[in-house]
Amino acid sequence: MASEASSSKGEFDIYQTYRKILDDEEMSPPLAAILSLSQLMVESNAGTMFELVKELHDGAEELKRHTTNPISLNAGCELFIAFVTLFPHESDSFAELKTELVKQGQKYAKEAISYRNKIAELMLDFIKDDSVILTHSYSRVVMRALLHAHKTKRISVYVTEARPRGLGVKTHEVLTAVGIPCTVVLDSAVAYVMDKVDFVLVGSEAVVESGGLINAVGSNQMAIIAKAAHKPFYALAESYKFHRLFPLSQYDLPTHNPSILSFPSLPPRPFVTPPTTSGVSPPIAKSGIDESLNVTPTSSSERSMSAEMTAKNPDVDYTRPDLISLVFSDVGILTPEAISQYLVAMFAG
Amino acid sequence: MAPAPSLPIHPPNGPVNGDASKQPPQGRSSQKSMTKAERRELQEKQRAAKAAAKAGGPVNGAPSKQAAKPTPQATAAATPKRPTKSNEAPAPTASALRTQTAARARAASVSVPTPANARGLRIFSHFGLPKPVSVAKGDIHPTILRLALQFSEFKITDYATPPNNTLSRHLMTYLSPQISHLVAARPMSVTMGNAIRQLKLEISGSDIDLPEQDAKDALCQKIDNYIRDRIIIADQVIEETAGNKIKDGDVILTYARSSVVQKVLLGAHAEGRQFSVIVVDSRPMLEGKRLLSVLASAGIQCTYILLPALGAIITEVTLVLVGAHSIHSNGAVYSRAGTALVAMMAKLHSVPVVVCCETYKYSETVQLDSFTKNELAPQGDLFSSFPSVKARDSLTLENDEHLEILNPLYDLTPPNCITAVVTEVGVIPPNSIGSIPVALGRLL
Repeated sequence: MASEASSSKGEFDIYQTYRKILDDEEMSPPLAAILSLSQLMVESNAGTMFELVKELHDGAEELKRHTTNPISLNAGCELFIAFVTLFPHESDSFAELKTELVKQGQKYAKEAISYRNKIAELMLDFIKDDSVILTHSYSRVVMRALLHAHKTKRISVYVTEARPRGLGVKTHEVLTAVGIPCTVVLDSAVAYVMDKVDFVLVGSEAVVESGGLINAVGSNQMAIIAKAAHKPFYALAESYKFHRLFPLSQYDLPTHNPSILSFPSLPPRPFVTPPTTSGVSPPIAKSGIDESLNVTPTSSSERSMSAEMTAKNPDVDYTRPDLISLVFSDVGILTPEAISQYLVAMFAG
Repeated sequence: MAPAPSLPIHPPNGPVNGDASKQPPQGRSSQKSMTKAERRELQEKQRAAKAAAKAGGPVNGAPSKQAAKPTPQATAAATPKRPTKSNEAPAPTASALRTQTAARARAASVSVPTPANARGLRIFSHFGLPKPVSVAKGDIHPTILRLALQFSEFKITDYATPPNNTLSRHLMTYLSPQISHLVAARPMSVTMGNAIRQLKLEISGSDIDLPEQDAKDALCQKIDNYIRDRIIIADQVIEETAGNKIKDGDVILTYARSSVVQKVLLGAHAEGRQFSVIVVDSRPMLEGKRLLSVLASAGIQCTYILLPALGAIITEVTLVLVGAHSIHSNGAVYSRAGTALVAMMAKLHSVPVVVCCETYKYSETVQLDSFTKNELAPQGDLFSSFPSVKARDSLTLENDEHLEILNPLYDLTPPNCITAVVTEVGVIPPNSIGSIPVALGRLL
C-alpha cells in the first residue's frame, strides 16, 4: 500500500507517496500523512533524534505546500511528530528506535481505519427508530454511521448539496443504493427543512482546541440554524483529527486569505453632481459597471457562478463550540469543553 | 500628590462613643417585627461596636467614610521607613494588589449614631470591612511592615523580598504572623495565596538535615525560580502566543492597563506587525493613560476613549485583548472593574475576546459574581500624575452626609463572553480552564 514513489533524482518524494496512499478510498488525509511520514523515517539517514524530528518537520511542510486546505493534514502530522518526540527511548541503538517508530506509525494507521466503526457503534444509541437525519456534504465516517444504523433501524436522510463541489449528491447516490430514503436539499433550504429533522450529523476536517469544528463550508450555517430550532448538532471525528489550532473567528483560520470574499476593484465611477432636490439619482453609474465585468449572460433559466466567483469563496468554515452538542470520537463521546482537556492531556509535556 | 497621612491618637480604652452603639434601638421588640432595613442597621451597629471595642478605633470627628484616605497608624511610627510617595500607577504584578485603604480610618466612626451614616454602604460593607493595621505584634519583620504599608498605599511595582530571611528555625510558624499582618493590610488575593501556598510547600518539603544557611539559600532559590518561571518566563510565552493572534490591519481594543497586554502589543509591534490600538479607560484609576503613553512612544497608532464611549467604536474593533487579576475554575475572569462591560459588548458584536493570564493567577474556586468578593478603590485622585488644569482636589468627589462613594476595583466577566484565555501552557477555551492544573502537572 505504501509504495515508494521517487522523483527523477532518486530521492524520497513524500508528496508522491502521500498521493499514492490517498488512492485508497478509505484513507483520509491525516492518516495518509502519518503513513507518508513513517515511510520518510524508513528512508531517512538521520543519526539522532534531533535530525529525525527536523526531517519530519520538513516532510510535513512539503506536504502542506501542495494542498490548499492543509488543516486535517496538519492535525495528522502534528500528532505523529508529537508521538515520535514523546516516545520513550528504551532501545540502545538509534536504528532500532527508528524501526520501532515506523512500526508504531504503521500500526496506528491500520488501527485508525477501524476508528470509524467504533464511532458508528457509539452513534447507534443516539439514533432512534424512524429518525430523520440531516447531514452535510459527503463524509466517510457519517456514511459508516448511517449504514451501520440502517442495519437495525429505519432512518431517512436529508443531505445538502454542498456547493460548489456538490458532494451531497454523492451521499445521495450511496445511500439510495443501500436502500435508505434520501433527499437532496438546497444549501439555502436548510432552515426550511430544519423543523422536520430530528438531529443534524456532520463529519469533520478537524476538531480544534476551542472545541469547535472545522468542516466543509455550510456546517456553521447548519449549526446556527439547528441551535435556533433547538435540534441537536452532532459531529463525528476520529481522534487523529483533533488539532491544537484555536481560531478566534472565521477569519482566523489558516485557510482564510485576503482574497476570500473580497470585493473586486472597479474603475472609479465618473463623478456625478448629486441632485439638489430629492429626485431620482441619475442612472449613469450602471452602464459603467456592466461594461467592466465579464458577465456573460446565459440564455438558460438557471445561472451558476463562474469559476472566478467560486474561487473567492471559502472551502471550510469554523463552527463555534457553543453550537455543537456532542463530538463522537473513538476516544468516547465528548462535550466540546472536553476536547480541550483531551488535547492538553495529549500534547502538554 | 496623595494627601499626607494623619496620625490619629488612640485612646487605650476604646472610643467614647462606643457605648452609644451598644444601645439597642428604641422599641426593640422581636427581630421579626423590625423591617429588614432596621435589622440590617442593628447588625451594622453591633458589628461596628465589636470592631470598635477590638480596635480601639481612631476617634476622628470625620463623618463615616467607608472608602477613606490612607491613614497608617501606630506602625508608621514604628517603622523608620516611610513608603515613598511615587505616584506610579500600580501594575498588576505578583503582589501588586491595591490595598484596602478603607482598612484604615473606618472603625468607630461608623458607630456615631446617625442612622444615615451607619446605613451608608451597608450592602458593600463586606468588602469595605475595614481592618485597622494593628500595632505590630511581636517580631514582624521590617520588610513586611514596609510591604504592608506599600500595599496600603497602592504603590507596589516590584515584588519585595519575601519574609524568609530570618534566623529563626521555625520558619513556618514565623511566617504565619507575617502573612496575617500582610492580609490585615490588604485582603488576600488569589495570586498572593498561590505564591504563599507554594512557598509553604517548599518549606515543608525542605530537607531537615541541611544546614540552616543552605536550607535558606535553597528556599531563596526556589522563590527566585517561582518568580522566574511562573511570572517572567510565563509572560514571555504569553507575549509570543498572543502576539501570533495579531494580524496586519487589526484594530485591537484593550481596557485599563495590563502589563501582560502591554508586553504583547509592544512585542507584536517590534516584530513589524501593522495594527492600531484603542485604549479604553475609566475613572477613578485612569490607568489607561499610562499604557497609552507607553504604546504611543513605541510608535503604535493609538486611540484613547473612556468607557461610556465604547458603544460608538466597537464596530471598528477586530480583537479585544485584556488582562486579568485572577481566573477561576468555572472560567470566570476577575479583572479590573469595567472589563466585564467591554467583554459583553464585544460578544454582542462578535468580536473575539482574548484574556492574557499567567497560570499563577489561577484559582480553584468558583466565582459567580463580582459581589461576594471585591475591593474598594481609595478615595481621591491618587493615581494620575499627569498635569491637569484644575486643582486635583476639586475633581474628586467626597463622601458627605447624603452621598457615599462606591468604587469597586474588580468585576467578574462570565465565561460565555470570553473566547480564549492565553496562558503559558497554551490557549485554552474558558470552559476548560479546569484543565490548567493537569497541564501544569505535566510541567512541574
